[in-house]
Amino acid sequence: MVRKNKGYITLFLLPTVVLFIVVYAVSIVILFGTSFTEWSSGRKPIFIGLANYIQLFTDDSDFRQSFLNTGVWVLLQSTIHVAIGTVFAIILNMKEFYWKFARTVYMFPNIISGAAVGMLFLCMLNPDFGAVNSIVRLFGNADYAQNWFMDYTTAFFSVTMTWLPYAAVVTILILAEIAAIPESLFESARIDGASELKINFYIILPMLRNIIGTCVILAGTSMLQKMDIIMMTTGGGPGNETMNLPIYIYKTALMENNFGYSNSVGVFLIGFGLAFVLLCRNLFRIGSSQN
Amino acid sequence: MRKPLFKTSFTLTSTLILALSISACGSQNSSGNSGAAATAAPTASGQASDAPAAKAPVKISYLTFRVGTHASAKLEEEQIKQFNAKYGKEVEVVVEEIPSDSAYEDKLKILAVSGDVPDVVMGKNGINDILIKGNLVTPFNDYLDKDPEWKAAVGEAAIAANTRDGKVWSISDQKQNIGYFYNKEMFEQAGIKPAQTWDEFMSNNEKLKAAGFVPLALMTGENAWTTNLILAALVGTNGDAGNKFMNTLHPTDFNTPEMIQALNMMKTMLEKYTTKDALGAGYANAANAFSQNKAAMIANGPWMIGDFSDPTKSSAGFDKKVGVAAYPNNSLISTYEVGYMIGAKTPETRDAAEKFIRFKTGIEGQTIALEYGNVMPVSDKIQPSDVLKQKYPLFVESIKLAQQTQVHYQSFDSIVYPNITDAWKSLYPKLVFGQSTAEEIAKELTKIAAKHK
Repeated sequence: MVRKNKGYITLFLLPTVVLFIVVYAVSIVILFGTSFTEWSSGRKPIFIGLANYIQLFTDDSDFRQSFLNTGVWVLLQSTIHVAIGTVFAIILNMKEFYWKFARTVYMFPNIISGAAVGMLFLCMLNPDFGAVNSIVRLFGNADYAQNWFMDYTTAFFSVTMTWLPYAAVVTILILAEIAAIPESLFESARIDGASELKINFYIILPMLRNIIGTCVILAGTSMLQKMDIIMMTTGGGPGNETMNLPIYIYKTALMENNFGYSNSVGVFLIGFGLAFVLLCRNLFRIGSSQN
Repeated sequence: MRKPLFKTSFTLTSTLILALSISACGSQNSSGNSGAAATAAPTASGQASDAPAAKAPVKISYLTFRVGTHASAKLEEEQIKQFNAKYGKEVEVVVEEIPSDSAYEDKLKILAVSGDVPDVVMGKNGINDILIKGNLVTPFNDYLDKDPEWKAAVGEAAIAANTRDGKVWSISDQKQNIGYFYNKEMFEQAGIKPAQTWDEFMSNNEKLKAAGFVPLALMTGENAWTTNLILAALVGTNGDAGNKFMNTLHPTDFNTPEMIQALNMMKTMLEKYTTKDALGAGYANAANAFSQNKAAMIANGPWMIGDFSDPTKSSAGFDKKVGVAAYPNNSLISTYEVGYMIGAKTPETRDAAEKFIRFKTGIEGQTIALEYGNVMPVSDKIQPSDVLKQKYPLFVESIKLAQQTQVHYQSFDSIVYPNITDAWKSLYPKLVFGQSTAEEIAKELTKIAAKHK
């Protein structure tokens, strides 16, 4: 029986393994290999050793700014974003008000494409006809009406606000986990006289450690790929104020025609992502038992 | 015993259905593709049934961004249609539509890395350099020598603009003569006329503002097109050095007095004389500001003229309000488009690609472009039809203007490296918000140019 199962397991895993090797593993090997070369479109790669990495860490202020922005966004997304999603899940779980309606409305921003969300915010924050500035002017504070995406003082905040509060995926994952907690636990707690607040804090939250850890990884790593909304709203500007690593990779490869250097940033991004995932796994002890 | 048998049969049947669905999808896709090809070459199938012994048409691949709402979509469609009617039995153009200029450029750059470029390529915005350096294109010298009529239709100046070290790498399909459009009503109310000097231009801005109008429709997002046309005019008219700079392919030193002076003047215009959303706005915002009577001037080329009488873009009767002017110092931006290149690899596809390019850039193709897209032809022999003259009198004015102006220079997009084109959108806000001075921006541009590989 075991042999038979092994056969099935191999058979069903094979397509995934082959796809992974062809699509990801080979690409990563090529990415890593060409990161040690000077390679531009239309020319053959020339091996230059560690030169790209040396330049990256010693003489590239654009890279430093992109890395800093990416780091801050990963931090905000894995803390504030997950916290919003978790709190919302716990509130929705109480089922006391129009929770089905709230859940559906809350999901909306997550089902719209990033580019469309970008366009939406671009219109909403337009300094000329945007809804936000119109409201600001309506209340008589015309001085506060401004070019939100292009002003140095507001650009980073404005871009961050286009995704930070919309945590429906986190909420749904956590709601599913809460639903899996045996009802008997809550009943026992209630019989022992625990309030709903105490049940949330001392029973539900500790039991959500694994899934919250997973959400932190998902939310944080999503920031390592974030590109669409930034491209639509600020394109990384003003200056490098909202530039992140994916946009920097795009610019070095396709605008500067410097694929070798761009790939070295890509390798760094993969390393950064791996380090983040490992950190979260250890921090939340993902996979270990709840007790 | 029956249960496992049922399970196995069910699994096998499901797998078979899935496999068939996938192959059906595949065949649907390929028919979709061939549909596109069929659109490009309607006579191909007919030919096969009528004359089975006849040679099959040579297939060539062609990517285009002139689709959908693109200003040149109509002319592209018409050129392909007329090419098919004439040469469809010999050449089948397999068209791939890419609905964005920048997506087209990105795709071509990536294809160039793998050396797998389409048979016919539009070499805009640095693509030509990449393909030439990578030895991925064929020069046109032999083809032009064999066809003096075509050579004459393209013209010596256009050929010279795309020649490097004696090799003609691309064939230009249009001349760009770019001045600016202005709202005659607003000018009248402000008591001004198109400026003859830059001092007068700035004074006009001030008078328009005083009369309650926004003087300029500028934008710094995307490639900062309408803003950079004025910047190019400022540099290009600033003495011999400035004019030389604006006629130099791939300038690497932006740290010049002309550039710094121009950037300072542009800072003033962006701060005082444009719409509030100019910083970060795209082309559509600026075009809309002008067409909707929100701004008095926009720098742009004749292809925009059609928009002024288009009710979906402009208010009724707007085309009667618009005038066209040259930049101060009797000057105009005047460039030849990079045009088309042969990326085909076999002699057979190269010849077919050349035939397609010859049609697009010859007298017929240029005439179609003029009539369907208000595109200025490269040949002096082609004149606008009476219908076009009546429909777009502003276009005739633009031609006159091009003939009258004496100082000419190119646009930034046609001379700088693509990474400079991409940098404006982040540099202009730095300049306007005082994060960097004009001198610092000029240094930064020089640094960015040096980064291009």
